[in-house]
Amino acid sequence: MTDIRTTDDLPDVSAAELALGVLDGDERAVALRRVLAEPGFAQSVEAWRGYLGQLFAVWPEVAAPEGVFERVERSIDAPHAVAAPSRPFWPAVAGLTSLAAAGLLVFVVARPPQAPLPVPAPVVVPAQPLLVASIAPTAKGAAIAAVYDPARGVLRVTAADTPAAGRSTELWVIGADKTPHSLGLLTPGGATSVTPALVARRQLAPGATLAVTIEPSGGSPTGLPTGTIVLKGDLSQV
Amino acid sequence: MMDTPAAPSKGRDAAARAELTEILVRTGDEDRAAFRELYVRTNAKLFGICLRICGEREAAADVLHDVYLTVWKRAGAYEPSRASPITWLATIARNRAIDWRRANGSRRTAPIEEAPEIADTAPLASETLIADEEAHSLHRCLDELDGNQRDSIRTAFFQGVTYAELAERVSVPLGTMKSWVRRGLARLRECLEA
Repeated sequence: MTDIRTTDDLPDVSAAELALGVLDGDERAVALRRVLAEPGFAQSVEAWRGYLGQLFAVWPEVAAPEGVFERVERSIDAPHAVAAPSRPFWPAVAGLTSLAAAGLLVFVVARPPQAPLPVPAPVVVPAQPLLVASIAPTAKGAAIAAVYDPARGVLRVTAADTPAAGRSTELWVIGADKTPHSLGLLTPGGATSVTPALVARRQLAPGATLAVTIEPSGGSPTGLPTGTIVLKGDLSQV
Repeated sequence: MMDTPAAPSKGRDAAARAELTEILVRTGDEDRAAFRELYVRTNAKLFGICLRICGEREAAADVLHDVYLTVWKRAGAYEPSRASPITWLATIARNRAIDWRRANGSRRTAPIEEAPEIADTAPLASETLIADEEAHSLHRCLDELDGNQRDSIRTAFFQGVTYAELAERVSVPLGTMKSWVRRGLARLRECLEA
């Protein structure tokens, strides 16, 4: 790996650079990996966010357009509607025959969702191929499986181990842009169904890595992973 | 739609910050009324951030929606001892807006017409929601930097742009820009931690 300080004698201020947001490409990816790997570096990034946060005092205010809050409230209430699938989902996966799907099914069958599977009614083949990943533990614990339906923008994940009290498990995608984007929190002790933010959905492609980190309750406060990776796996098409 | 400069007294600053902390903590307990109050008090600051970085009202409104949805989901993780409520909220807004900007490949070089100008110097009166005791050290330390260093760091913060875009804007080689910013950040660190 290239030394980010290269040949000159410039000081290493990558924590500040990451908080400021000036890094991109490989430099940003290297800094983000350090956030995951080095607690001291992560603390330094947080300290810089605090310092730079003082500049928010001079940031001019502009009243938000009408209706944004109402949209937010609808989105908060929407997951219930989104969670009720218009067609059976896991059976649709079961209907697929590729090796990747077969491998995935081991997890799906071994770790069924909490709710009983819906009766397999007519299986609708999605217009875009589903993406699947087996997300395996980096140390110990059980693997989980993820299935992403690009047509509906919905990501399903089988039940993961429940995190310690006061902690949350957060799922990330590291795709073409090489930076982690949050896909959301995993439901403690049950299967998860989420519609990730558009920025994160764009990274969900074959070859992208899904990773799970342990974060403070409610998820990473910074929008970037702050805990170590406990589970990891790559997406592939079925 | 307009700048809303605030110049309240110190006592009001502290009270406003304490209230905002409480409202954010109650939002973390899934209190919808508190969440609405949080929106009323902070939407202009957070929309100002999204608008400046995204450069378009429609995109900024979409990002603002994502920001408050994130705030609703993550307010439970807010720790009052670690960050002021407005810094916590504004950092989420800035990061989301930068994500949008990078994902959409925006390379805006012209000033953003709709976003109001940012004051060039430290605020004369501290702003309502930032604690007095911390409001001036960064401004003071920025003032000690060379012009190029200070301007580059300020532009990076307020526009959410990368080294490459910074260099392009002022037509200097990438290496020069990195040198300005890195040396500036190193001096800032010394000053802030002194």
